[in-house]
Amino acid sequence: MSPRDSAETRAAQVAAPAEAARVRKPLFRKYFIALFAAVVIPLLANGASEAWFGYRDHRALLDQRLKLESAAAASKIQDFLDGIRDQMQWAVQLPWTEGGDERHRFDALRVLRQVPAIVDLALVDGSGIERLKISRVGRDVIGSGTNRADDPAVAGARKSRVWHGPVRLNRGSEPYMTLAVAGNRAAVGVAIAEINLKLIWDVISAIRVGETGAAFVVDRNGRLVAHPNISLVLRGADEETTARLKALQTVTQAQGGGTITATNIEGRTVLPAMTPIAGADWMVFAEQPAAEAYAPIRAALWRTGILVLVGAMFAALLAFALARRMSGPIRVIESGAARIGAGQFDHRIRIATGDELERLAQRMNDMAKELAVSQERSERIGRLKRFLSPQVAELVESAGKEDLLGAQKADVVVVFCDLRGFTAFSAKAEPEEIMKLLAEYYEALGAIIMRYAATLTHFSGDGLMVLLNAPVPCPDDPAMRGVRMAEDMQAAVQALIAEWKKRGYGLGFGIGLAKGIATVGRIGYEGRHDYTAVGRVANLASRLCSAAEDKQILVDANLASAVTGTVALTQVGTRELKGFGESVAVSAVSAKAAAE
Amino acid sequence: MKRRQFIAFLGGAVALWPTWPRAQEARPVIGFLNSGSPEQYKMRVRAFFQGLGAHGYAEGRNVSVEYRWALGRYEQLPALAADLVRRRVSVIATTGGNPAALAAKAATATIPIVFQVAVDPVQAGLVASLDRPGGNVTGVTNLNLEVGPKRLELMHELMPNATDFALLVNPASRFVAETLSRDMPPAALIFGKRLHVLRASTERDIEAAFAEIARLKAAALIISPDSFFTDRARQLAALSLQHRVPAAHNREFVEAGGLMSYGGNLLEVYRRVGEYVGRVLKGEAPRDMPVQQAATVELVINLKTAKALGLSVPLALQGRADELIE
Repeated sequence: MSPRDSAETRAAQVAAPAEAARVRKPLFRKYFIALFAAVVIPLLANGASEAWFGYRDHRALLDQRLKLESAAAASKIQDFLDGIRDQMQWAVQLPWTEGGDERHRFDALRVLRQVPAIVDLALVDGSGIERLKISRVGRDVIGSGTNRADDPAVAGARKSRVWHGPVRLNRGSEPYMTLAVAGNRAAVGVAIAEINLKLIWDVISAIRVGETGAAFVVDRNGRLVAHPNISLVLRGADEETTARLKALQTVTQAQGGGTITATNIEGRTVLPAMTPIAGADWMVFAEQPAAEAYAPIRAALWRTGILVLVGAMFAALLAFALARRMSGPIRVIESGAARIGAGQFDHRIRIATGDELERLAQRMNDMAKELAVSQERSERIGRLKRFLSPQVAELVESAGKEDLLGAQKADVVVVFCDLRGFTAFSAKAEPEEIMKLLAEYYEALGAIIMRYAATLTHFSGDGLMVLLNAPVPCPDDPAMRGVRMAEDMQAAVQALIAEWKKRGYGLGFGIGLAKGIATVGRIGYEGRHDYTAVGRVANLASRLCSAAEDKQILVDANLASAVTGTVALTQVGTRELKGFGESVAVSAVSAKAAAE
Repeated sequence: MKRRQFIAFLGGAVALWPTWPRAQEARPVIGFLNSGSPEQYKMRVRAFFQGLGAHGYAEGRNVSVEYRWALGRYEQLPALAADLVRRRVSVIATTGGNPAALAAKAATATIPIVFQVAVDPVQAGLVASLDRPGGNVTGVTNLNLEVGPKRLELMHELMPNATDFALLVNPASRFVAETLSRDMPPAALIFGKRLHVLRASTERDIEAAFAEIARLKAAALIISPDSFFTDRARQLAALSLQHRVPAAHNREFVEAGGLMSYGGNLLEVYRRVGEYVGRVLKGEAPRDMPVQQAATVELVINLKTAKALGLSVPLALQGRADELIE
């Protein structure tokens, strides 16, 4: 399997979980909300303030208008009453003298003719005696002599010149009122008139407040005196009507300046205003249906509302589009980073927005490229570390000279070593024991090999083959290095053997070294390479190792001559080594040194 | 995809903007039932339509009218009323007196009726009370029956020394005839007059009545409120002049040449009837519409007739008169 394939499968495995992870606060949503709010909030604020102020202004105007209307209505009604009163004055101008009755009757008739509202007119003289009563419908009564001095009308008129009686319903359905007028002196007496208030209706009905508003009149007892809807007046003191009127009156009186809305007699919501009529102690109401009064406000509110709505929709569209455009590239970068993180180093993030995001994507692509390179490098080093010491591996890699691993001839020092009695041991011992032992063995030897920057070319079971001066030349004398290394190895493993002996394992350790020209290079096939040395030197070292006994380090003549003088050597003589034909001169590193 | 959905939503919202369908209403029909004849009632009918117009209705434009004139023959009224009911009119306006109103009331209990009468509607059995009529009937009264005694009084003022007066009633209008026959003679006695009650239902009866008046040597004649008599205003006026009998009736009578008229202003009354009909058409129920009374009572004197009859109208009476025809 190629590295590329492995990287891709890894990417696929990582990509799935990455997409499943939910973003806690999506960027798109944030942008959308921010943009939307940026447009809608000022819009709303403007609309709301406009609506509020418009509403207030309009209400103030309404208030003013209604007050004017009610005042105008009141003055019209006042005029009506005053007109009747003025006409009645004609009947109380002449004093009551003997024989003057006919003149008074004439005056009274003319007043009756002049004021259609008067149903009957009674004239009372200075002492309160009724002298005549003429009626429009009933019979005229001349000289009845009834004493009306105690009549409240007479008393009232005498006191204040004009007296307005309460409104009562004639036959339960017609509004009548008594009006009494006194002359400028007692002798002229008092005129008392029964007035049919239906005549005011023409005045009231003609009053228009706005388009659908109207005026109406209520007396001191809260009873309707006049109303554009005559039925309401004629119906008389109906419970529901009275209750509504009272409520309306209280509410309007409590007004104190601002406009209020209330329910009128017919149950609709209106804006009322009130003006009193002093003499008769009536209240004139002008009311405008709330629907009509607020229609302009409502229209303006609708307009504002629709504008805000349209603005909001537009803002939503805009925010949506912009947020998409902003968060889109980020999503691309995000998924690209996930892929690269998963190992897809050849993935390139494509963004062409022309802004910092594009630059970011560019940097990420560069990073991916670097990662790809470094991954390859570490793979290569990994491969090398299989047999090269880390330092050598680094060296080879950083030098970039892979051709160092190429086939060549080199003057190398080959070191072979293995355990004595291992085969017997491995036949007897349990697998766990064998592995544990081997682990300790390799740990010890591996540390030493790394320390000496040697190349471990091969190991199998308990035997190792180590190379010095290839692929990278030793910084110092390879022969010396080899010997020192072998000594260290002996020392370490002997310590281990002592331990093993305690466990009951009887093992030994022997090392063989040889120096000479060998062919070095990589052997193997695609994906599985090893670096090795081939040649006489290698074979010699191997044979020497086999010949070595426990604690022995055997070296060949070449190596011996290289280290004579520095290392204590013992001539061992010649040995018959398989494959080498003639006897080979073998030396051993001195036991003293080896035992240390 | 989201964008497309959004635009689709927008489009749908605009397309579903409600268009209120216009309600198609059938044009309402007013049944106009009158005991008299069209010519004499022209002015009053015009006043009626004035009142109707105050509520936005105009004949031919948004309302149609079915006229039924009894031409003075009251016995036809029930049939005419039934005919209107059969035609399913929206409202029946009965003008010209209580016979028409009673006939309409008998013909239907569901179709709203607006009457114009001279009698007290409660006593005549048209409504339960003035302020709450109940039922499907309401209307306006013109006080002409109530002012009967007043007419006597005014005539008495004109002829204080007379001893015999006559009263003409139409027995076909039973309630009016009975009430007047009962109440007027005692009232006349107060003024020191003997009141002779005469009956006439046809033209010939009228002539006979006047002959009787001449025989009785009655000094003046009070004519009772009745649409038949209104119809015959000209005949009555002519006979009154011919027999030199001062008579008091209604405005049409005075305009036709009679001497005096005292009673409610019928133009105003008819206008109120028209307004009431308008309100009924708008949906109000007669049971909640109180019966109205005429607000004005007028005295009209024809001075020309007075001179022809050789009468001098006292100043007081002249001053009292609302209108003097010369």
